Amino acid sequence: MSDVITETLDDYIKTQVLEAWKGPKTVPEQEYFTSGHRTCQGCESALVMKLMAKAAGPRTIILGSTGCMYVANTTYLSTPWSVPWMHTQLGSSGSAATGTAAGLRALMRKGKMEKERINVIAFCGDGGGADMGLSAISAALQHTEYNLLILMYDNESYANTDIQVSGSSPYGANSTFSPPGKERRIMHRRWKKNTAPMLAAGHPECKYVATVCMSYAVEAMNAVRKALSIGGPTFIHSLDPCPKGWDYDPMFSHELGELAVETGIWPLYEIEEGKIKMYGKSKRIVNGQMKRKPVQDYLLRQGRFAHFIDEDIEYFQAKTDEMWEKWLIPGVLPFSAEA
Amino acid sequence: MSTGSVEVVYRGIFQKTLAKNICRGVVFAAKKEGKIGTAFGRYSDSPERNGIPAKQFAVVSDTHDELQEHLARYEPDNNDVTIACDDALCKGVESWAWYGLQPINKLLKKGGTLLVTSFQSPNKLINFIHRKGEPYNLALVRAAASFSGLWVYKDDHTDARLLGALAKVAPHIVGIDAICEVIKEQWKDDLKVASARKTYEATETIPVSADQGNEEVPFEFEKPGWKTMEEGLVIRGISAEQQKVEGWEGGYVPTRNPTFKKFSTRTMRPVINFDTCIKCTLCWLQCPDSCFDITPDGLYDANMEACCGCGVCEAVCPVEDCVTMVNEEAFDDNASQWEMWVKDKKGYETWMTEKISDKPPRSHGFHHVGQYAEETADEST
Amino acid sequence: MNPPKTATAEQIVIGGSEELISGSEAIAHACRLADVDVITAYPIRPYDTVMQYVSQMISDGDFDCEFIVAESEHSQFEIVKHASAVGARVFVGSSGVGWFYAFEAMAVTAGLRMPMVAMVGNRALDDPGAFGVEHNDALAVRDLGWMLVWVETPQEALDTALIAYRVAEDKRIFLPCAVSCDGAFLTHSQAIVNVPDQATVDSFLPRYDRGDKLLHPDNPITIAPQANEDWVMEIRRQSDAAMRRARGVITEAYEDFGDKFGREQEPFIERYMMEDAEIALVGMGTLALPVKVAVRKMRAEGRKVGFVRVRWFRPFPTEELQDALSDVEAVGVIDRDYGFGSSFHSGVLANELRAALYPVENQPKIVSFIAGLGGREVNTDNVIVIAGMVADAASGGMNDQDTYWIGVRE
Repeated sequence: MSDVITETLDDYIKTQVLEAWKGPKTVPEQEYFTSGHRTCQGCESALVMKLMAKAAGPRTIILGSTGCMYVANTTYLSTPWSVPWMHTQLGSSGSAATGTAAGLRALMRKGKMEKERINVIAFCGDGGGADMGLSAISAALQHTEYNLLILMYDNESYANTDIQVSGSSPYGANSTFSPPGKERRIMHRRWKKNTAPMLAAGHPECKYVATVCMSYAVEAMNAVRKALSIGGPTFIHSLDPCPKGWDYDPMFSHELGELAVETGIWPLYEIEEGKIKMYGKSKRIVNGQMKRKPVQDYLLRQGRFAHFIDEDIEYFQAKTDEMWEKWLIPGVLPFSAEA
Repeated sequence: MSTGSVEVVYRGIFQKTLAKNICRGVVFAAKKEGKIGTAFGRYSDSPERNGIPAKQFAVVSDTHDELQEHLARYEPDNNDVTIACDDALCKGVESWAWYGLQPINKLLKKGGTLLVTSFQSPNKLINFIHRKGEPYNLALVRAAASFSGLWVYKDDHTDARLLGALAKVAPHIVGIDAICEVIKEQWKDDLKVASARKTYEATETIPVSADQGNEEVPFEFEKPGWKTMEEGLVIRGISAEQQKVEGWEGGYVPTRNPTFKKFSTRTMRPVINFDTCIKCTLCWLQCPDSCFDITPDGLYDANMEACCGCGVCEAVCPVEDCVTMVNEEAFDDNASQWEMWVKDKKGYETWMTEKISDKPPRSHGFHHVGQYAEETADEST
Repeated sequence: MNPPKTATAEQIVIGGSEELISGSEAIAHACRLADVDVITAYPIRPYDTVMQYVSQMISDGDFDCEFIVAESEHSQFEIVKHASAVGARVFVGSSGVGWFYAFEAMAVTAGLRMPMVAMVGNRALDDPGAFGVEHNDALAVRDLGWMLVWVETPQEALDTALIAYRVAEDKRIFLPCAVSCDGAFLTHSQAIVNVPDQATVDSFLPRYDRGDKLLHPDNPITIAPQANEDWVMEIRRQSDAAMRRARGVITEAYEDFGDKFGREQEPFIERYMMEDAEIALVGMGTLALPVKVAVRKMRAEGRKVGFVRVRWFRPFPTEELQDALSDVEAVGVIDRDYGFGSSFHSGVLANELRAALYPVENQPKIVSFIAGLGGREVNTDNVIVIAGMVADAASGGMNDQDTYWIGVRE
């Protein structure tokens, strides 16, 4: 299980092998994101931080853009991080990763720093990633000379600032900017941005893009390990149930992640060197081995959809069906070939 | 000529609407009596989290100038009444906006009243509450903590009942008639008005003497000045080395953040049946707060300084009744369950069985659409 | 169009070469000599010429650094901010609204105490989309913890960029520094410049060392946690203290620079024909050329006029200006910027100077002029008119509590 460095390029270590963990019992004990952060009870994004750091290991620098995982984790004097961590601006996860990787590369090449593979991970929320930071992430994914991972923890709203709708919020969700009112039941009418495929399709030299959910923790950690092994810039999109913004009892964080996958609302896949691979239950759905659960099993468990009436649920179901039945690559690419 | 202020301590997002209803109710009712008032949240507690303690205040005065005098500070620090919306807050509150544990009665004035929703006996609560050093009163509203989230409010009349109780313990701030009038206006619900009046009549106060209560000195931290703070916005990370704890050799106890412990967020805690644990690791792996220590024998022990009681461990555990969430006020300390179990397995079983069986219903919030209507219907029957 | 600051044969004893280069190219040489590790570029006139030179140097193998063409100025500044945190010496720059696009990044760079060096090719802000010089772009960050310096010639641009690295990266300071070069008049104008040799630069400029503030796995720190009202005043006070210390560190650097390179200059201001001056003109950047010529003409006519060129705007040279201007009868401040709605509707420099001279005994009258906006010519005739108006103010014949626009069509 040794982490082997296999290749050097330009005097700068390009790839490494972080082997996949076989199951939860092979996951190491060490924590690099530990207790004492100030997130909500049952915060799935905090779990993303913990397991992302665990998957990456100690020789890692983490950059965190503005959002819950900045504000609630690192209130001054207080930090849960035992790997080096630095704040970056809301739209800057791509730039933070690029700058950190570029700095390390220059210093190592010029002999000003000991040569070593140091993992660079920048995380952002959906507001920082799918909205404000999209252009910087796009630029970062073009820089094949830098090893970096951008991880978007998507809790489907600007949760830190009191739950405002983002481009990644699901259709119809209640938020402080899209409250159902006397005249309008549905204020947020945009369909959720398809961020991971957009980035994968738009950056053909990016070797690894994946979707994860921490309800499938080992798979998610292995995605992080693969992203850090493959070389060049990589992107992971994590769906994080959020008890505060989605409005549910925090003990259901894990279960809602499972339901998102089982209803087909959140497909799990990896796009590795141009090849797409569904995994977990999403693979079984695509292969016809598992029937998708109705979306209402997921929607009616969350207070943010409590204002939905039957027609809203039907619309949501129809749009989800379309993803799996009409799309060129089911659940991933929203085109269909002209007949 | 007088000013009265009420501090409402609550569980962040879970009780934000509840706290807002109480504070607004106080101000509107005082207005009916010809007073002037205002209500506001402690800004540093926002953005609120779910579970993590937060505060709102209502201040009412006879005159505008008196009101201003009371408001010319960051927060009212000399309150006539402190309302704790969850009795587990009596163990102290650690808001994410300050450093250390604040006793629930810290901002209560001498002779003021601490009003708590609880099914516990007053003496049990007094044992949790830090010693104030000054006499004050305790009043209980017999109710479980009412939790609901941002979007769907569980209208189980807790707001009305607390307002009714407030009129009893602090009639100089606001009287019951004005409270009832406002509730009627706001909710147009006679049952809610009746709840307020009934609670008003039932509420009694118990005097608490200066030296009664928990002797423990709550942890806090000295805030350094600019000359000693590190420059460049740098703070030192947590050590990645495990803690050396006697009796835990061969296990794994991570180093934890010493400046924020989070246990005051907890309203329930996991009780673990070590005999049925299959060591699947899921509680440990899926805990967002890294609160599980790995024991030398490969079991998982929830560290009670770090656990915030979310209940994910209970949800992910594949073994029935291996992890059971139990109300926080059933416990007097944060001691290790595993150490207790190792020392005396028979005794632990007895202790555990008692804790698990004596478990009043409590939930952190929303489970499904329609749930609150069902529950409030049940409660009214 | 600017004559070079003449370097005598005695001064150039330390080697180097003489090149006919623009202000932008001079700064590019400074980056090469400083062995900068990470540079980010984004196109906007006129500053981008520096990046054109830098990219050619890299392409030719004369300079080794990571050169990243960012997708916006915001990213441009954020990338180097983070490279600086891991110990890389960085360079960046922009102009006009490009500088403003990076405004958020500039605020945090100063807050984080990252010793970034930036070039501003001063340019008018859009709209209208003018390419010519105005100083409002760089001045916008004047209260955020950026050190700001204006230069007059390509030689001074090169020298000052090296000094900027030394000061910014000094552990007592750790503040970013912007070197302002007037668009067109300096960015695109050539002069003979002594480009020093590497050994001399190395003897003057130590390697950037973040010490225990380095973001590295061997030093697992948390940088820039969120802070509430319990901490922000202390953090701001630290930045204030660093800016106060900068005065001394800048002075040290100029002294050492003079020793090593043979080009000695007063650190904060340049005094031109100020001995026995009764009327003083004050300005920044390439305005100095027509002003100096006009001052010489007026002196030839026996008028006691001098000129003070402000180099460092942050830290503001309060003491130096008090010293230089306390004996004159009246001061005319020529701002190449505007301050709509400010006191007396004056430019930024004029009002800073009014504040600096407020406690001085025998306060001179201070008259504010706005000229040369959007790159409009300021010629010697304009300057002579200005000096005449200042003389009138000195004798009480003109209102000094107003601001006069020079060279504007009515």
